[in-house]
Amino acid sequence: MSSGRPRPRADRDTKPFWDGCAARELRVQRCAQCSATRFPPGEFCPVCHSPQARWVTLPGTGTVQSFVVVHRAFDPAFGADVPYVVGLVRLDATRPPVVLPGNVRCADAGEIRVGLPVIADFEDLGEGVAMAAFRPVDAGGAGER
Amino acid sequence: MARPAFQDRSAITGIGWTEFSRDSGRTVLALATEASLRAIDDAGLRADDIDGLVTYFHNADTAPPRALVHALGLRECHFQLFNALGGGWACAAVGTAAMAVHAGVCRNVLIYRAMNGQSEHYAPPGGPPGEDQWRAPFGVSHAAARFGPFVTAHMARFGTTSADLGLVTVTQRAHAALNAKAMLTSPLTLEEHQRSPWLIWPFRRADFCLRSDAAVAIVVSSAGRARDLRHAPVLVTGFLGGTMSTALGTQGAQHPWQLNAHLAAPHLYGRAGVRPEDVDFAELYDPFSGMVLLHLEGFGLAAEGQAAAAFAAGRTRLDGDIPVNTHGGLLSEAYTHGLGHVIEAVQQLRPGGVTDDGCDSGEHDYDRAHCRQVREPKLGLVCGECGDSSLLLRAAA
Repeated sequence: MSSGRPRPRADRDTKPFWDGCAARELRVQRCAQCSATRFPPGEFCPVCHSPQARWVTLPGTGTVQSFVVVHRAFDPAFGADVPYVVGLVRLDATRPPVVLPGNVRCADAGEIRVGLPVIADFEDLGEGVAMAAFRPVDAGGAGER
Repeated sequence: MARPAFQDRSAITGIGWTEFSRDSGRTVLALATEASLRAIDDAGLRADDIDGLVTYFHNADTAPPRALVHALGLRECHFQLFNALGGGWACAAVGTAAMAVHAGVCRNVLIYRAMNGQSEHYAPPGGPPGEDQWRAPFGVSHAAARFGPFVTAHMARFGTTSADLGLVTVTQRAHAALNAKAMLTSPLTLEEHQRSPWLIWPFRRADFCLRSDAAVAIVVSSAGRARDLRHAPVLVTGFLGGTMSTALGTQGAQHPWQLNAHLAAPHLYGRAGVRPEDVDFAELYDPFSGMVLLHLEGFGLAAEGQAAAAFAAGRTRLDGDIPVNTHGGLLSEAYTHGLGHVIEAVQQLRPGGVTDDGCDSGEHDYDRAHCRQVREPKLGLVCGECGDSSLLLRAAA
């Protein structure tokens, strides 16, 4: 990964999510009272306002709801990465649906499209921090990226 | 639908602006003060008639109200607002002033937006905590990467193309050519648009708005008081200033191509007792060309998936049935964060019409070689980013 890349600044609500990424798992809260998935992470369920929740690990699959392709990096830390895709990924096994922003790594830039099935990979950002990125489901072995 | 108590009770009575440039060579406070003094003078008021100040920003790039209290020498100030909601809030700045006046908190509220957006462009490193953790690590450091997905989804659903986006830029540039204060006035062809480089797909450089050193200001007074002032009042008929978009702003309504505008429009029109067909022109927030298509549909001025066809058919030109961004907008006039759209609507609705096209003041002949006045408009729509705020403005009867 490029050095100098901004690292996620986790807060008290989101730390378990980012810790999950470091453990190569995509974790979200599920409400203990109404079973709603909760994203962004928070103390209270936005559906029933219960403070009770448990963190569950998702399969990491989903579909690209929409995306952009960055050809000019306005942050120089990403200058070597262009073109890169930033997607909004609608995650499977979540209700209401969790739409997670993240990079989609396609071998061929023309491959990205709305509705593309993807699965989470994890990219090491150094110092024990990682983030979820996605690749097309049919792209073969996950590998380290 | 119940009508808000302040409907038609407050009016825009003054408008002012500075030169729009790439390098003002002046402080933001100086720009804010000049635009404010011009707006106050335009209203026929004196500075000490102002007793409320409202401004907004995205990054803290502007002068706070207390600085303007001093700079303008106000004798009283009963209400101030320094709001960080950015371009989505542009119309809410005016609506908030209208409420403050109608509530009797203030007599005349001055709204201003000032920035050296080009020469002192400010992007705080790392961004704010909270939302930023869902953007910065993925290389989302420009608004185009946040709003682009709405347009991408519209393309996937309706077959919208880059050339369709180009129609917006080309149309607005033609309007800006009739606007003496616009920064970009040279004609642009669709072919030139299509040769413009990709910056953040689906947007080319020509789909991006300007950066500007600029200040604009607006005075809001009670409708009753307005009748004694210099210009016929432009009444605040409708106003909304909230959003139901998702927490990270990734979705505005039911579908990924829909903005908050889709949810707001029925309330905006219903409370004002008007229909989309009653709108004579629309000044729609345009940070990126494609957002104009989504706003046009969101506010019911084109059927879903039909906004590009509306542009192609000329419906959004000055002589079309729904002229759009008649001043050139953020794409061609200047980046004034949405208040420039309000000022243009006021100009269009005043009896004398726009004063800074190529016509002699008060004499509009609708010759599109020099005249940008829309033909006898009565009702104008203005919206902020995503329709997170919106205004219906009406010419006083």
